[in-house]
Parts: sequence; C-alpha cells; structure tokens
Amino acid sequence: MNCRDFQMIVLDLARNRPLDSSTRERGLAHIEGCEDCAARLAVERTLLACVRPVVAELMGEEAPAHVEKELLATFRAQRAAAISTRVWSSWRLAAFAAVILLSISVLTLFRKPAISPRPQQEERAVSSGSGSSPGPSATSPNLAALPLANNRTAARQAGKSQKRVHRRAAGNHPDNASDDAETIAVFFRLREGDDLTELESVRLVRVELPGSALREIGVAVDPETAKARFEADVMLGQDGLARAIRFVRWSSNKETTDE
Amino acid sequence: MTKPMVPSDAELLRLTSAGDEQAFTTLYRRHQSFVYRFALLMSGRATIAEEVTQEVFLALLRKAHRYDPALGSLASYLCGAARNHVLRLLERERAYVQFIDCVDEDEAIPLSQLRDGDDPLRNCTRNEAIRMVRQAVLALPPRYREVIVLCDFQELTCAEAAQALACPVGTVNSRLHRGHALLFDKLLKRLRAEGKLEPAGPESRGGRCLV
Repeated sequence: MNCRDFQMIVLDLARNRPLDSSTRERGLAHIEGCEDCAARLAVERTLLACVRPVVAELMGEEAPAHVEKELLATFRAQRAAAISTRVWSSWRLAAFAAVILLSISVLTLFRKPAISPRPQQEERAVSSGSGSSPGPSATSPNLAALPLANNRTAARQAGKSQKRVHRRAAGNHPDNASDDAETIAVFFRLREGDDLTELESVRLVRVELPGSALREIGVAVDPETAKARFEADVMLGQDGLARAIRFVRWSSNKETTDE
Repeated sequence: MTKPMVPSDAELLRLTSAGDEQAFTTLYRRHQSFVYRFALLMSGRATIAEEVTQEVFLALLRKAHRYDPALGSLASYLCGAARNHVLRLLERERAYVQFIDCVDEDEAIPLSQLRDGDDPLRNCTRNEAIRMVRQAVLALPPRYREVIVLCDFQELTCAEAAQALACPVGTVNSRLHRGHALLFDKLLKRLRAEGKLEPAGPESRGGRCLV
C-alpha cells in the first residue's frame, strides 16, 4: 500500500469503521514504515477525540419549536392559498362561460329583430296608410315588408336583410353603367289579410310603374313622387293575381355595399 | 406481527406536495436537527442556524419538485441547500461576524511533527474543550469547515459529503486532510494562547513547525 491508498482509508482506520481485513492489515503495515501517514493517523485520532464531546453535546441540539410552528403556519397558508386559487379558478371559469353565453344570447337577440319585428311594424304602417293617415314613401326601403316562408327565393331575400344589393350586369339596364347596383326592399302584401305562406308557387314580374300608381296600393304619394317612375317586382299567385310587391332602386356602386 | 412501514423521504415529500401536513411534520422532524446542527457549526450562531433551517424547509415546501431522488438522498439535498444559505448569510454579515482569528493556510503544522497519543485538550475541562473545538472550527475557511462539519461532526461518509457539496469525493478527501491539519494547528495555538498548553520548545520549531 502506498501513501495515496492509505489516505483513502485513514479516516476509516481512525474511526474504527469496518474495513476489509486485508486492507486494514496492509494499512497498518504501511504506517510502520511511513512517518507522515502515521502522523496523519495520529492527527485523525486526536481530532476525533477532541470532536467527540462536541458531537455528543450537539446531539441534543435542535431547531427551536417556533421554527416548526412558523413553518407549519406557512404550510397551512400555502395550502389555503392553493385551495382558494383552485376555487377562484373555477369561479372565473364559470364567470367566463356565463359571459360567453350572455354574448351569444345578445347576438342572437340582435340578429333576430333585424328580420322579423321590423316588417311587422311596417306592415302596420302600410295598413294605416290605406286609411286616412299618410303612409310611408314609396321609395323608402322601410316600406312594409312581408317574409315569404314558403317561397324559397323570397324567404331567402327577406331572411338575410331587409335591404339587398345586387350587382347589375353590364348592359342589363339601359340607363346605368355596369357598376350600378340594385337595391330592393322586401315584399309587402297588396291585400290585407292575404296569407302568402299558403301559396304553393309564385311568379315574379319586374315592372316599371308611375309613382301615381302607388296610390292604388294605399301608399301616400306627393305630387313630385307621383310623376316619377319606379321599378318593382310584383309577386303573382297561381291564379295570376298580384299578391305582393317590392320596390327596386338603382344606385351608384359607390353608395351601396355589396354582400 | 408486522412492523409499521416507515415512509421514505420521497413518499413524504410527495404527500407534502399534495398538502399533507402530517407528512411535512414528519419530514421536518426527521431532518431538522441535521440541518440545524450543520448551520450552527458552520456559523457559530443560533440565530443564523434558525434562519437557515427555516429557509431550507420553506424552500422545500415551495420548490419540492427541485429535489430529484435519483441524484441523492434528501439529507444531502437539504444539506446542500443549508450550506448555500449559510454561506450567503455569512457573506452578508461578514462585516459584523468576527472569527477568532484569520487562518493563514501556509502556517499549518507539518503532520510529521505530530505524535500519536497527543491530546491537546488534556488540560481543559469538558466545556472548555467543547468551546475551543467549536471556535477552532469556526476559524477555518468555509471550504475546509464544511467538510469537517459534515464528515467529523455530522458523521457522513466522504461520498455523502461529496454529494451534499456537489463535488468529487477526491476533493472532499483532500479538503478533509488539509482541514484536519489546520484544525489541529488552530487548537494548539488557542490552547497556548490561553495557557492550557506549554509553549513549544525550541527543539520542536523546525522549519515552519509551530509546535
């Protein structure tokens, strides 16, 4: 055994720790002829003797009780915080879900009135217009509207918006350039009490009529409007009778919006 | 009759992370004295030892996931954490903490001058001996002090100490060797200073030998 090997076992020798018997013998044989290693072993044994009383005294040393109390308080606070965080998270999740549901409901409510309640109001206006009170202007897009549930074309038009804009094909209208757009109102009934949803099929006819003709369908018309000419789509039933009408207005593309 | 199973540190730590207070208490009581003693011997001050113990276990509470059982025992992990806290606190309070004396490592006694059976504390009472040893330990540079505290006072093996200090076993061995020589020298110096040991005769003052 050389000095380097001895250094590896000197602490075990000093402390009388279990060692392989041959290693112990070789170590003890080494210090017979090596003064430095013998001195090292002596130092270790002496120091061990000095240290033992300190170790014995320290055996009873423990952290004061208040350290444990404070740590336990921290532990409880941390656990409570974790629980409240979890609870808060679930509340936040529920609140978030509620906000989403509310937003969906509000959106639904705002979309629906754009389709149905307004035509009903305007229908009432047209009905009253047939009496003594003045009715809406014939060119106004707010003319009485009538959704036609059974007629696919008309229902689609009525369902999407009260006002639709169509791109006019070039040369399709003699007076306008190719970028003019067609604005149409929804249909309104020509006869009060007529249930158009019962019609099995309808025909649409595009007509041009003087403003004065609007008086015949109960719309109040001023003298200027009476002279003007209007385009309208007339809905004809199976029996060939006009059941509903919608007005068409041509406007420049700059002023209209495309769908 | 079967012996009740003692939960392992890893199991207790897992339960602690899950909010089991009893598991934390068990874990604390199992390791607190080791951490506290280490901090006390390293700093020499009970207040620092308390603070370190608290910090070490608080860190364990908050960052339990940092402990990896595959890398070593929990005791070594806690010891490493305590060592870092102690060194930081000592660094912070260096201006206020005055050790017994400053160590000049070159003044260490050559081992060849020591004789087997020397007991430098033979003329001291037990309490005096304990005080002297603790003061001598505190006078060592931290890198020697920590290995001596772990291997001699806490009775860890060199391998366990190496794990706690995150350094090779060979480093622990060499530091222990050097630290012991320094500690012995310190003890003799202090004993002579207090008149508990006869001054070294001229025959023993060969070379750098102080004995």
